[in-house]
Amino acid sequence: MTIRNESSNETVDIVVIGAGASGGAATAWLAESGFKVKCLEQGYWQDSSKYASASEDYEFEMLTNWAPDPNVRQRAEDYPVNDSNSPVTPVMFNGVGGSTILWTAHTPRFHPSDFRVKTLDGVADDWPISYDELEEFYDLNDEVMGCSGINGDPANPPRSPRQMPPLPIGNDGKKLISGFEKLGWHWWPSDSYINSQRYGEGRDACNFCGHNHMGCYQRAKSSTDITYWPRALRSGATIETGARVRRIIIDDSGRATGADYIDSKGNEQHQKARAVIMAANGIGTPRLLLNSTSDSYPTGLANSSGLVGKNLMFHPFAMISGTFPEKMDTWQGPLGNIGLSQEFYETDKRRGFVRGYTYQFQRSLGPAWIANGGFRNPVPWGEGHHEELGKRLGSVMAMAVIGEDLPEEHNMVDLDPELTDSDGIPAPRLNYTLSKNSRDQLDHAIENAKKALKAAGAEDIFVDPMMRQSGWHLMGTARMGNDPEKSVVDKWGQSHDVDNLFVIDGSVFVTGAAVNPTPTIQALALRTADYIVEHRQDLKG
Amino acid sequence: MTNNASTKNVNEELLAAILDRLIPAIDDVPSAGNMGLTTEIVRLSGQQARFQGIFKNAMEIFESTNSEFVLLDSEAQVTAIRKFESNEPDLFSSLLTISYIVYYKDARVHKRIGWSGRTPQPEGNPMEPWDDSILETQREREPFWRKV
Repeated sequence: MTIRNESSNETVDIVVIGAGASGGAATAWLAESGFKVKCLEQGYWQDSSKYASASEDYEFEMLTNWAPDPNVRQRAEDYPVNDSNSPVTPVMFNGVGGSTILWTAHTPRFHPSDFRVKTLDGVADDWPISYDELEEFYDLNDEVMGCSGINGDPANPPRSPRQMPPLPIGNDGKKLISGFEKLGWHWWPSDSYINSQRYGEGRDACNFCGHNHMGCYQRAKSSTDITYWPRALRSGATIETGARVRRIIIDDSGRATGADYIDSKGNEQHQKARAVIMAANGIGTPRLLLNSTSDSYPTGLANSSGLVGKNLMFHPFAMISGTFPEKMDTWQGPLGNIGLSQEFYETDKRRGFVRGYTYQFQRSLGPAWIANGGFRNPVPWGEGHHEELGKRLGSVMAMAVIGEDLPEEHNMVDLDPELTDSDGIPAPRLNYTLSKNSRDQLDHAIENAKKALKAAGAEDIFVDPMMRQSGWHLMGTARMGNDPEKSVVDKWGQSHDVDNLFVIDGSVFVTGAAVNPTPTIQALALRTADYIVEHRQDLKG
Repeated sequence: MTNNASTKNVNEELLAAILDRLIPAIDDVPSAGNMGLTTEIVRLSGQQARFQGIFKNAMEIFESTNSEFVLLDSEAQVTAIRKFESNEPDLFSSLLTISYIVYYKDARVHKRIGWSGRTPQPEGNPMEPWDDSILETQREREPFWRKV
């Protein structure tokens, strides 16, 4: 049934597309500042008591109904992504909370140098803002999400006190860290948006189940459905779930007037708004902008630069794992929140590449996960299976390499000419190749990871030179900048072309740094919301 | 998402024979094909439509090219599985994945490998609290982040 309903929705000040990391943060800030905000989210609220970690079949659920790859998960609210021309598969979650439902909540910040890569290293572009301009919003976001960690990291600028002490390191973490200590290399306990003690509204401390990447039953891992959204709703914001946006609508003057969407019952709807905020992630946002063509914007909305969808950046992951002779109960504790090393983060041109990388330390899980490979190859079947399983269970630790992936225009999201979602809306298509600089970074990181694992005592080292299912960090496809010919939005996230259209997700990244991006995405979202509050009262009805 | 109808015709005798080669007997635990796991494999694979389709396809193609599999000796069975693994890696992967998942759900296996077998939640796991002394060396290092 497709009944278009233009009258049931009253005009709101701002419609936010997407209820994830950035959409939740901006909606809460704007609603608390008196704006009338409505969010359209194609997914649904999640019941934490029904997350797969409490299911007898959690190992199967992790690979199917709760898989991070939407092409594997295939829920009704997911849209397909044609990734056949990309060695990296994008992963995400559609629902209130967005990908924070399934993330590991590993939350390092950008470094000051990350905002100045052109000036410092002669590559890509500088950001139009600095670390110092963003710092207060990082702090604000830490407070709302709740950060476990500790100050004093010599690889990063001093920062405000963390809300909670670090998560435990564990015997497995200590073992891995011993390798870095022997080599004299940096490591530091991770900043994590996971409660090491009770914090926030009705949120317990982590009980170290090891499976919060399937949704946190304990509500100890921060996700915006349990942090920003309760605040937003208390302040009068509304959210419609099961609402899949088809396009952004503009008027004759070229200004946005709202969004057409399909509601959860399949009815065509239109939401009128004085401004539109895009928060649908680095693939979903360009997809929607490119789907929003009109006479005024024949190549897509906000696309006079031609850069909507261009400069797609991931953080291509290499994963280096080691099997230790000791049994360390490696399934105890959050999977990816032990610590990190940024020994090789900043540029050293003697290495033969620019920029650098972070190591994120990883645990491993239970017997079926181990048997199916986990971060490495599956345990061989047949003779020898039991011996090899016995060696790996409780003994495998890994290091994920997060290398800085520089922007290149040929790496892009566009619209697939044939593939659509279940509502017939054209689906995104990726074209992505790994640059030589990124490959050189990963190769350098692999060799050093081997050294660290050996120094820690690992006996069997396995290298995945680039994980396919690693496209968590979707960045760069509606980049910010001061020059409208070289960027899509300005330094406040406001479209150069449409003054009441904003982008607040990872699309706006100019460069990707070498860290998990979510705290930076959320800090930028809060900064844009603050700009609207301070300078765009004209958007208030 | 649940629909067992399309996997109810899976040849469980064949599946059991494959399982015997994939996961052999050890200690007092029989080979996987003799543990009565096939019904659970069929049930679980039906819990998601996409996986169910791949699994069903894997079984059908394997059966179509190995109609006499259950009659072969163990060495020939291993050879047949290796050939299928080489020719149809994605389909074989689905078969191996679900086999491992169901095998490692079994209480007999848990007992042998010393695994608790409980779900991750709600109990969780014990861990020693954070100990700041582990940072003594790192705290001695001068800041080395790049000033702008």
